[in-house]
Amino acid sequence: MRGIAKAMLTTIGVFARRPVTREYPERHRPLPERDRAFPLLLWDGDLDEPFCTGCHACERACPVECMTVLMKDNPAHTSLGGTSSRRKIIDKFWIDYARCMRCNICVEVCNFDAIAMNNTWSGHEMSVYDRADLVLDLPQLLAQHKAGAIDEWVAP
Amino acid sequence: MNVELFGGEINVWWDALARLGLAVGAMTVVAMGLIYLERKVIARFQQRLGPTRTGPIGMLQALADAVKLVGKEDLRPRNADPWVFELAPYFVFVPIFLVFVAVPFAFDWQIRVLELGLLYVVAISSVNIVGWVMAGWGSDNRYAMLGALRAAAQGISYELPLVISLVAVAMIVSQLDSAGEVLRGSLNLHTIVEEQGHIPYIVWQPLAFAIFYIAMLAELNRTPFDIPVGESEVVGGPFVEYSGIRWSMFFLAEYTALFLLSLVGAAVFLGGWAWPLGEELRGENELLGVLYQLGLTLAKTGFLIFTVFWVRSTMPRMRIDQLMAFSWKVLLPLAFAQILVNGLILVYDWPDVLLLLTSGAGLVALVAIVDRAVTRPAQRPPRPAAAALGSEAAS
Repeated sequence: MRGIAKAMLTTIGVFARRPVTREYPERHRPLPERDRAFPLLLWDGDLDEPFCTGCHACERACPVECMTVLMKDNPAHTSLGGTSSRRKIIDKFWIDYARCMRCNICVEVCNFDAIAMNNTWSGHEMSVYDRADLVLDLPQLLAQHKAGAIDEWVAP
Repeated sequence: MNVELFGGEINVWWDALARLGLAVGAMTVVAMGLIYLERKVIARFQQRLGPTRTGPIGMLQALADAVKLVGKEDLRPRNADPWVFELAPYFVFVPIFLVFVAVPFAFDWQIRVLELGLLYVVAISSVNIVGWVMAGWGSDNRYAMLGALRAAAQGISYELPLVISLVAVAMIVSQLDSAGEVLRGSLNLHTIVEEQGHIPYIVWQPLAFAIFYIAMLAELNRTPFDIPVGESEVVGGPFVEYSGIRWSMFFLAEYTALFLLSLVGAAVFLGGWAWPLGEELRGENELLGVLYQLGLTLAKTGFLIFTVFWVRSTMPRMRIDQLMAFSWKVLLPLAFAQILVNGLILVYDWPDVLLLLTSGAGLVALVAIVDRAVTRPAQRPPRPAAAALGSEAAS
């Protein structure tokens, strides 16, 4: 009988507690800063151009070959009358998020800290109706950091 | 022939139709509300939120379920007995529906004031066991049959303590007749509630209330007495083969029965609309009085229903032999002892406080018996091999 009474008290105690359910689509729990969604390119706000020089390091290191990188001469280089110290700059860049396995290797091999893993919810909620929409081009890859939506975390 | 309804004269057939419509509407609303509330309450007992998607905080969930169930195909197994199978839901549904006629909501909010209201309620509400057995038999499914037989055994066993605990209260109801003499005993639910204006009968008859509550759980097939529908044993019992609207009729009946039995418990033991100060406030202000009385009734009923959910989220299921033993060996003798003692007190005109003392002693005895049964180590005969080993070691 004491057992029954104790059980009843336990359940009513649980009843008084807050539910642990998180109402996911309405409320997102905060993500850790090292949360690893899909890679993004970073935007050099001082010089108004991408950090990426198109050096192909990430493309070569990528184990699933989800990246395509094309390089060009930087029109804003000092030798051409510009202000940038980058001789070469990224021309075109595609990442196929459907292939990417979020291994973080591209971030680690990048010599210019030009690529980072998306650590926001926008990197996780990427459902689309067509698989081709998961191949992101350069403007799409740069857009979020350019808009200041990404507080990127790069290994120190 | 005309009768009075809401202050106006009306043909007796229209009157009957109006009351019938009220009962049907109330029943549907009550059942849907209870399904929603049960899901919410049980969810909170498990630290979940329950339904949140349909409507504001999920309030339309029951409606959505109803639409889904009505839209589903009404299947009948090929080997099922067509008449028995198809009629079974009505035999469960209609008796519960009829109980609505006699239960008191407020001073004059009662579909009919029946002189033998309490008898009517217990008699009619037990008819639905027939529906359960029909569902089990008609399904031609061994699990359904097992569940139906269990339901029959349990329903009949617990009907007795339920009725006798109510009798214990009905016999001590005191009312003044026209000559100012005190009369004892009434089966009229209206009178029973009215006489509790100062002290509810749970004070005089705690044992009867305990027995009523336990038997109510069993009658409603609620945990810890949900043996007939135990999912892990008979996969839903008599309802296995039912789908769509027939299945929803069973559930409508089940939740309405929960509401009605709780309402009867609230009326008979907790003072219904009369305690505390129900009639006094009604005298002050008619409208406020009605609302207050309705609120009292619903609050007490709601409390009982909440405890049913609470028990459901706490207790494991009992075994069938434990269940039968508890009814026949514990509840029924105690209930009989209660009416015997009540009868002695009434016949010899002993003071009412003795009712409380004897019933309280009975409650203590009930708790002690349950305690002994729960804490006693399991009684198993020694295994033969072990016994032989023991005797060898002794020699």
